[in-house]
Amino acid sequence: MTVRRTNGDNLFIRYLILGSWALFCLVPVLWFLSIGFRPRTEIITARPIYLPTLSLDAWHMIWSDWPMAKYLRNSVAAIFGSVAIDLALAIPAAYSLARYDYKGKEDIGFYIPSTRMMAPAIVAIPIFFLFRNMGLLDTIWALMLIYAAINLSIVTWIIRSYMTDIPKEIEDAARIDGAGDLRILWEITIPAVRPGIITAAVIAMVFAINEFLFTLLIASTPDAYTLSVALANFTGGSDGLIYNAIALVAFLAFVPVFLVVAAIQRHLSRGLTMGAIKG
Amino acid sequence: MAHIQLRGIQKKWDTIWGVRDATIDIADEELLVLLGPSGCGKTTTLRMIAGLEEPTEGEITVDGQIINDVDARDRDVAMVFQGYALYPNMSIYENIRFPLRMRNIPRGTHDQRVREAADMVELGQFLDRKPAALSGGQCQRAALARAVVRQPRVFLMDEPLSNLDARLRQAMRVQIKRLRRHLKITTVYVTHDQIEAMTLADRIVVMDGGTIQQIGTPDEIYRDPANAFVASFIGAPPMNLINGEISHGRFHADNVEVQNVDIDTEGPVTLGVRPEDCSVVKSGASAHNLTGEVFGVEPTGDITFLTLKAGCGTMEIKASRDYRAELGAQETIAFDTDHLYFFDAQSGQRIRQS
Ligand SMILES: Nc1ncnc2c1ncn2[C@@H]1O[C@H](COP(=O)(O)OP(=O)(O)OP(=O)(O)O)[C@@H](O)[C@H]1O
Ligand SMILES: [Mg+2]
Repeated sequence: MTVRRTNGDNLFIRYLILGSWALFCLVPVLWFLSIGFRPRTEIITARPIYLPTLSLDAWHMIWSDWPMAKYLRNSVAAIFGSVAIDLALAIPAAYSLARYDYKGKEDIGFYIPSTRMMAPAIVAIPIFFLFRNMGLLDTIWALMLIYAAINLSIVTWIIRSYMTDIPKEIEDAARIDGAGDLRILWEITIPAVRPGIITAAVIAMVFAINEFLFTLLIASTPDAYTLSVALANFTGGSDGLIYNAIALVAFLAFVPVFLVVAAIQRHLSRGLTMGAIKG
Repeated sequence: MAHIQLRGIQKKWDTIWGVRDATIDIADEELLVLLGPSGCGKTTTLRMIAGLEEPTEGEITVDGQIINDVDARDRDVAMVFQGYALYPNMSIYENIRFPLRMRNIPRGTHDQRVREAADMVELGQFLDRKPAALSGGQCQRAALARAVVRQPRVFLMDEPLSNLDARLRQAMRVQIKRLRRHLKITTVYVTHDQIEAMTLADRIVVMDGGTIQQIGTPDEIYRDPANAFVASFIGAPPMNLINGEISHGRFHADNVEVQNVDIDTEGPVTLGVRPEDCSVVKSGASAHNLTGEVFGVEPTGDITFLTLKAGCGTMEIKASRDYRAELGAQETIAFDTDHLYFFDAQSGQRIRQS
């Protein structure tokens, strides 16, 4: 057997390919930034302007003319709240599916991801009435619940698959050492599947940030607007389309996810490939 | 105090038998070894005693009380798992300490106990590491330390030394023996290493295919095997088994002959001879029992293993350390006729002297 060496050329080609791909992925982001920080007059022009004037007009505008801070707060609250609800429900559910044997377990196991298989529009109207009757329309509580509901299946599924992978002997050992069910879950199982929990939480977060349909349905005033819906609302109004403001808000919505993902990326690879299967 | 009894214990999963009808009486403070080939039900038996597996049939009692329905955590046992079962997210220190925390043992004593247990298994300098950063043998020692850090009613050890090198294995055997003498805790010890079984056990249970073949002291198991399986499982190399026939007090097989056998049976039997009860004699010696062709010669220093091919099959013989021979040469062997065993050709059961 020969050991494959990474020689200079090889390395160069590798960097070239990865670099081009990174650039390809980053161009839209850079484009956004560039639009966000140029004056309105330089946005729609006959010829592209590659080196626009730097302008903070849009930046000031989104913070002064719109309740951006509020939208941001709504987004963060609804997203983190929904992820918290998901984890609180999904961890015990996943544990039960991974560890206990009972009748209908496989059916329940299938039913959970199957909730993701229908088109969301089908349930839009019923959900609207449901929340109206509960008096939750136009609140972030409703957003929290709906995001949690949308993501619960994928979160449960990911955590379950991680739990199935940890040997049962470890829990047996803990039981013999004197730990009860909750202790075992809390001290042994959850720490052992922490990468899975983190992955699931990030995926849920990304889906929640990008959620649009239900947010639009539920949020009718800025009280419950999130960044994604606020974005849509910039398109109207007497000023016409304010592209640079839209670009900035879109960028703002992108930054927190980017930071979270960057911080925990080494936990992510496996969960993301699973997410890819789900589509 | 823990006097454990298994009464008619069976374990079956759908159609798979784990253990069939095991009845074992484990005396207080005894070290009982479960010995047998892979898949014979050793781990299953241990897990039933631990309360991790529920017997399909039968009762388990400790000091006369039936404990079938007692939860594993309330049985007060400590166990070394075959697969170590260390807690992956905790350091070795926290792993060893876990049972102390769970059993509400006064915090002040934890540090000293953990360090003592770790030192006993020569793991003192690895306490800060996570299990993933240890070798298999180191993990196994950590699992052993976690079991002995506390004083339970019963120790259950599932091949606790299987992954250690020869020196450590020897050292750990001595440690386990000392610990036991000191703590006097009833111990059930699983191994498939017969040296370990012979040196550690008060009594050995030999199992095969989920069935107990024999229970006895190491001496009894070696000197007085109940059947051909036990005979062929104990000893290194194990007993030679030769299928042949007895007629008029004379055992006969291809290239093998034994005069004046002291059992009454006539017809087909299996003869058992231990390698250490065979000696190489000059060809043409008056009292010889077997001739065969030299198939292998393995000098090990203090002894030479000789493999012979004869009409009856392959024979293992322990020859003197100076013994050497050309492959293919003819050798003549005499048996120590005081130490011959006969087994029923069909059932394998021992046929004893009349
Ligand atoms: N959970 C289970 N479900 C079905 N069959 C099982 C289960 N656990 C063990 N068995 C079967 O029971 C038999 C005994 O298994 P056991 O683990 O007790 O063997 P063992 O003597 O410990 O073997 P080894 O030396 O390889 O560890 C085996 O045939 C095994 O396949
Ligand atoms: Mg086993």
